[in-house]
Amino acid sequence: MTNTLHRKGTPESLKNDYVIFCTLARGVNSEGSTPKIQEFIRICQKYNPVNMGDARHGNILMDDVDIQKLLDQKGDGEGATAVFNDLDTLRKVMEDLIKADLGVSINISGLLGDVQSCCRKAGIERHSAEHSLGIWGAKDRLPEREILEVNTLCGHGMVSFNLIRKMVEYVKLRRLTAKEAAKTMAKCCECGVFNPVRAEKLLEKMVKKE
Amino acid sequence: MMEIDKEKCVGCGNCHVICTMGAIYLDEDGKSEVNQEECVECSTCYRVLRNEGYMPWFVRAVRKVLSFFRLGYLAEVNVCPTGALTPPELKWPRSLRSNFSDPVAIHPGTGIGGRGTEEIKSNDVTGRIRKGEAGVVVEMGRPGIGAYFRDLEKVTQALSHLQPLFEPKNPVTLLIKDQKTGKLKDEILNEKVLSAIIEMKIPLEKIPEILKTLEVVQKDIDTVFSVGISSRCLPDGSIPHEEWVRKAGYILSPNGKTNIGLGRPRFQED
Repeated sequence: MTNTLHRKGTPESLKNDYVIFCTLARGVNSEGSTPKIQEFIRICQKYNPVNMGDARHGNILMDDVDIQKLLDQKGDGEGATAVFNDLDTLRKVMEDLIKADLGVSINISGLLGDVQSCCRKAGIERHSAEHSLGIWGAKDRLPEREILEVNTLCGHGMVSFNLIRKMVEYVKLRRLTAKEAAKTMAKCCECGVFNPVRAEKLLEKMVKKE
Repeated sequence: MMEIDKEKCVGCGNCHVICTMGAIYLDEDGKSEVNQEECVECSTCYRVLRNEGYMPWFVRAVRKVLSFFRLGYLAEVNVCPTGALTPPELKWPRSLRSNFSDPVAIHPGTGIGGRGTEEIKSNDVTGRIRKGEAGVVVEMGRPGIGAYFRDLEKVTQALSHLQPLFEPKNPVTLLIKDQKTGKLKDEILNEKVLSAIIEMKIPLEKIPEILKTLEVVQKDIDTVFSVGISSRCLPDGSIPHEEWVRKAGYILSPNGKTNIGLGRPRFQED
């Protein structure tokens, strides 16, 4: 899954957006992995992620999902994700995960240089890395850059361009605050990789611009 | 197919906004209707819009009263006031739409949720991408436009000339009828999905050729695609594919995905 690879934004705004994943390799280390995934969730929870979830059980910004429910319903081989807003917190989470030695694959989406420096501070060297080479093809069919920045916060593209426009309009009309609008959009993103804090800032920026 | 119960629908339009493809519209009776050609069966409308469970006659009556006072009725944006959305029971090949578009759906062919594989996310354990190799992903239809398999086939056909190793566990690979030509199964070509990932492995030195091929084929398709390139880092942490991509004249994103190598048992290369 390429999920969070193609998040758009300036390096400045990407500085506040890091997604951490735990992944099991089907048929290799997925069997009996439930306690490890649960421990991953507990470690992330300690540092107050702005979002958390997985495709099977939803994310913590949904009305009927919370961290306890995620913990209780976890099964072997199911991954989990958490979103953090700053590098310092990410580094602490990474250090705790290294100490816990869960044996699950850990991936981080974010500024590659920053993640690399976190790895080195924690005394490890990265294993593999992936870059985006951007969008190709019929780009004239795409909306403006700001809409794309919000849309790509969900790796599966479940936050429609129309919903983003509607949320900008609602914030402008004061029917919703930017925070409420960001939470509404986050509910569309099952896995919980959508960063509601970054979305809130982007909405505020779009409202001002209009 | 995702349908809207006309007896229940009160035409609030919330499903129009939430629809990832903008495939829902108001018909001449003021009821919502799904454009089945454009719908990718992602079920976002059904999943996200909370059923408020109001009786349709009640909502319509409230509306009439409000309109008498020149007031409008605006439902909250994340609800379907009357639960008018009816989830689909899909048959092949339409079921592919849901398999690729609905993140909750599990691919019957791979047993994995989502649109691709674990890719580099478990590379420390699987060794999927090894020294001297690059992983390439071409996510058709992303962001937000969607893709027909007929467009996807144009890309698999163009890439097949370079004889990449299409990832055997990827759901798109399972739909390729002939890997030598990149032809897909005929019956799926008119199916549309929110996105689908062509995933392959190539020697690092083939990166410029692959990118050149994508550069050409992008002009022949009526959608967008997002490209990603990965590799196994060297012992000093440097990324081997960077040099090849730069040499070919392309710009790398400042952000990306990093596998930090904590998975066990660690894959050992010979």
